[in-house]
Amino acid sequence: MWYSIGVSNRDASKTDVLQGTLDLMVLKTLETLGPLHGYAIAARLEQVSSGALQLNMGTLYPALMRLEQRGLLKGTWGTTDSNRKARFYALTSAGRRELEKEQQAWDRMAAIMHALLRGDA
Amino acid sequence: MSAIREWMHRLLGSLGRQRRDRELEQELQLHLELAAEDARTRGQLPEEARRAARIQLGNVSQAMEGLRDQRGLPWLDSMARDVRLGARLLRKHAVVTSAAVVSLAMALGTCIAAFSLVDALILRPLPVRQPEQLVYLTFPTYTPERPESDTFSDPLFVRLRDAGRGRVDLFAMSTQVMRPARFAGADGEKEHVRTQYLSGDAFGRLGVLPAAGRLVIAEDDSQPGTHPVAVLSHAFWMRRFGGDPTIVGRWFALEDRPFEIVGVADRRFTGVEPGRPTDIWLPYAMYNPRAFGTFGFNWFRVLGRMNENVRVEEAQSVLQAAFTGMRRDRSQGFGPNRSPQEVARFVNTPLYLRAAANGPSPLRRQFERSLWILASIAALVLLIAGSNVANLFLARAAAREHEMALRLSIGAGRSRLIQQVLIESALVAGAACALGLLFAAVAAPAVVDMLASADDPVYLDLRLDWRLAAVAGALALLTTALFGLAPAVRASGVAPIGALKSGRGRVARASAMRPFVAVQVAFGLVVLFVGSLLVLSFARLSSVNPGFSTSDVLLLSLEAVQRTEPQQQRDALFEVLDRLRSVPGVQAASSAEFTALGRAWTYNIPVPGSEHDTIEATMAPVTAGYFETMRIPVRSGRAFVPGDMRADNSTALIVNESFAARYFGRSVAVGRTLDARFGENDNSPAHEVVGVVADTRYDLREPTAPTIFIPLRLRNTGTVHVRVGGDPTALASRFRAEVRAANSMFRVTSVRSQAEDLNQTLLRERLLARLSAFFAIIGLVLAAVGLYGVLSYDVVQRTREIGIRVALGARHLSVISTVMADAGVSVLVGAACGLAGGLYLSRFVEALLFEVTPLEFWSLALPLGTLSLAALVAAILPARRATRVDPVIALRYE
Repeated sequence: MWYSIGVSNRDASKTDVLQGTLDLMVLKTLETLGPLHGYAIAARLEQVSSGALQLNMGTLYPALMRLEQRGLLKGTWGTTDSNRKARFYALTSAGRRELEKEQQAWDRMAAIMHALLRGDA
Repeated sequence: MSAIREWMHRLLGSLGRQRRDRELEQELQLHLELAAEDARTRGQLPEEARRAARIQLGNVSQAMEGLRDQRGLPWLDSMARDVRLGARLLRKHAVVTSAAVVSLAMALGTCIAAFSLVDALILRPLPVRQPEQLVYLTFPTYTPERPESDTFSDPLFVRLRDAGRGRVDLFAMSTQVMRPARFAGADGEKEHVRTQYLSGDAFGRLGVLPAAGRLVIAEDDSQPGTHPVAVLSHAFWMRRFGGDPTIVGRWFALEDRPFEIVGVADRRFTGVEPGRPTDIWLPYAMYNPRAFGTFGFNWFRVLGRMNENVRVEEAQSVLQAAFTGMRRDRSQGFGPNRSPQEVARFVNTPLYLRAAANGPSPLRRQFERSLWILASIAALVLLIAGSNVANLFLARAAAREHEMALRLSIGAGRSRLIQQVLIESALVAGAACALGLLFAAVAAPAVVDMLASADDPVYLDLRLDWRLAAVAGALALLTTALFGLAPAVRASGVAPIGALKSGRGRVARASAMRPFVAVQVAFGLVVLFVGSLLVLSFARLSSVNPGFSTSDVLLLSLEAVQRTEPQQQRDALFEVLDRLRSVPGVQAASSAEFTALGRAWTYNIPVPGSEHDTIEATMAPVTAGYFETMRIPVRSGRAFVPGDMRADNSTALIVNESFAARYFGRSVAVGRTLDARFGENDNSPAHEVVGVVADTRYDLREPTAPTIFIPLRLRNTGTVHVRVGGDPTALASRFRAEVRAANSMFRVTSVRSQAEDLNQTLLRERLLARLSAFFAIIGLVLAAVGLYGVLSYDVVQRTREIGIRVALGARHLSVISTVMADAGVSVLVGAACGLAGGLYLSRFVEALLFEVTPLEFWSLALPLGTLSLAALVAAILPARRATRVDPVIALRYE
């Protein structure tokens, strides 16, 4: 079973939750592995989730553009190992700070949900 | 913070400055290639790999869409697209678009012009410090033609100023007068400048600063006649001296008295009276010395600035106390010919403090109501134009149902379609607004010209500032919203299936347009109704017989070139008159101190036999030959003869019929005596009535007043009246030379015809009649065109139905009545509402009407008749088209 995270620009409520999650995943990936191009990010996330996370192009690339517009990533053109032209995205210092913040928020939320769902009823 | 960054990038992306499509596609292509490679590496068959790739491929366009949405601001992009599309569509239907734009532009233009006039004359506050603190004083005079007076005398002002100290600081500003001045030495040409005298502290209280040199200060006012200084207005400085910086310190002569120019006022200050900018200001103390200390000269207005935290009532009560006290003192000196009621009324006259934030202005008082009425009519015409445009859009929107349906079926939201139609409306409104502003820029000054006359110019500052542009924009937006919304909603409310099935698409039923037709007819009738009232009023007023000759009489104003003795002046005047009489073409010549229109000098004569009754008689000093010149019939007795003129102690006087009836009753007037003293030169109180003449009017609107004619004693030469046979203006230049030749003591300063003078008094009525007729015609044409449009649209729509009826044997009349019936109901409903509205609104116009009431025959017949005629004309062509429908063609046409 795989999830396809589709992001609709029109559906705001759904978008907020999924956008935030996707942003966190992308930022973390870039922190761990350094600058990557879009396909590599998608491949890494698919690998880490053991195939559960299959990112749609229409989801990933707008998200990368948005992060770049917000100043959290910086994209530059470079070449892959196989000598192809690709756009590599790297974390900026603002991105690092944002990642830190989002990670803490996520952990807090996870803890609350955990306590709520599994704690004393 | 990062949200703002994102928004900035997206804004730039909308303007096309961020990553290009090609670049984005490259990135996506790479993604696909890598995905395919990975699939092959994983051992997927090329078939599978290709299929997976194709599935992914389907997402490229979706991904591009997502990227584009992220790159720019989608709403901005969609609006820009709609604007381009809308412009193209409007250009395609150029005729319809131009009709809509032009009709809206005219209506908008008139509204903008009306607003700029209202703003300039009525609304705009003075460019001084805190104008809301300014007040000016007035009091009632209990006379019908000038119910309130705002002019004061020196001793009264001094007392009021002292009383108000600490609460309201009063200062004086004289009424503006044109005076002769010479700027280029003793031989220089005489120019006429607009001058005003004011208190030394006036500029300070107003908060006006100098643009050069200094302004009039309190010290200049300390002693009468000691500080002959003058301050120029900025506009005058620029216009007359080109902004010459050396003007300060220069001397000039005003009425042959020398003055020094000490400064120029700030650019924005032109005086306190809108419509009458001043050229030169002079200190109060430099006025005619005879005016100080006497109650006889009332030559200035009193303005004041309220102190902080002082309530108007407080200030008013201290000033009232001083005013009443002064009046009480004065009433001690009244003679027995004032009744006790009159004295009491005099002493207890209230004093009013009026807000002067936008300046005291008789011009405003005269035209305020008229301007508001015209502005309202303009607004109604705008509504008519708007409904016209709404119908046009409705028709067009209906024709595009097919396109709308298609767009709906592939996923466009309804709001998107509404947005597109609204944008088209906004484009039309925007173009109409721009055109309307141009129109207003021409029209408003033209109206101001209509308000002015040669020796009484009116200058209104009609600048295009942000307030005007804001009003224009708001009007345009409002029109768009009101009249674009209905068609927009209708257009997008299409059910796709129905529209797509029938190839051509349904068309809107004309029933949607009915309310707009009713609205147009209603407003059109209101405008017509009010316009008819004003036109009738003017027609009736201008047909009133003034009782004297107007078309062949010329008025010459004379001026003495140098100072002379009164005796010399009088003899010189008679020489001039004799000379003029000898000019071929001249039938009669005489002089009068005042022209026939106006009541400059009145005198209260007690009625004999009654204790308290007095007659307020108009005094008219004239020379011999006046009645002949003006063709005023002598009813009994005789006119003045030269003998009456020469004697200094002449006791002859002539009265008009009204006076004779009131003073002498039924008995004969000629030969009787009148006891009165007319002015300081009058030595003997007993005057003999030597003749009675027919009544004349001093104002066409008012009934005739009792008048006493006396021989012209010479305080000044008065105005020379000359009657000529044939065209009077042709001889005008000849007269200047003749006067000069007769006696070099005089110079003709102005020549105008009596007819012009009379026309000038009808200024307001003429303005109203012309402009409201203009609006009424526009409104009528718009409504008729609108009606025509709806009717012909209806006929085209129902061609099939008509064809069937004709095929079944219907007659022409029945066909026509089918088509007209629905529209006819709307017209009748609209007319009924319009009539009711017009009758209700005519209340506001009543004060301006002359012998016209809303419920008389012509007041109703004129508008209703015109409207019916227009409706008939509008209906002719569509009716003809309906009868010409060929059933064969109609039924075949699909």
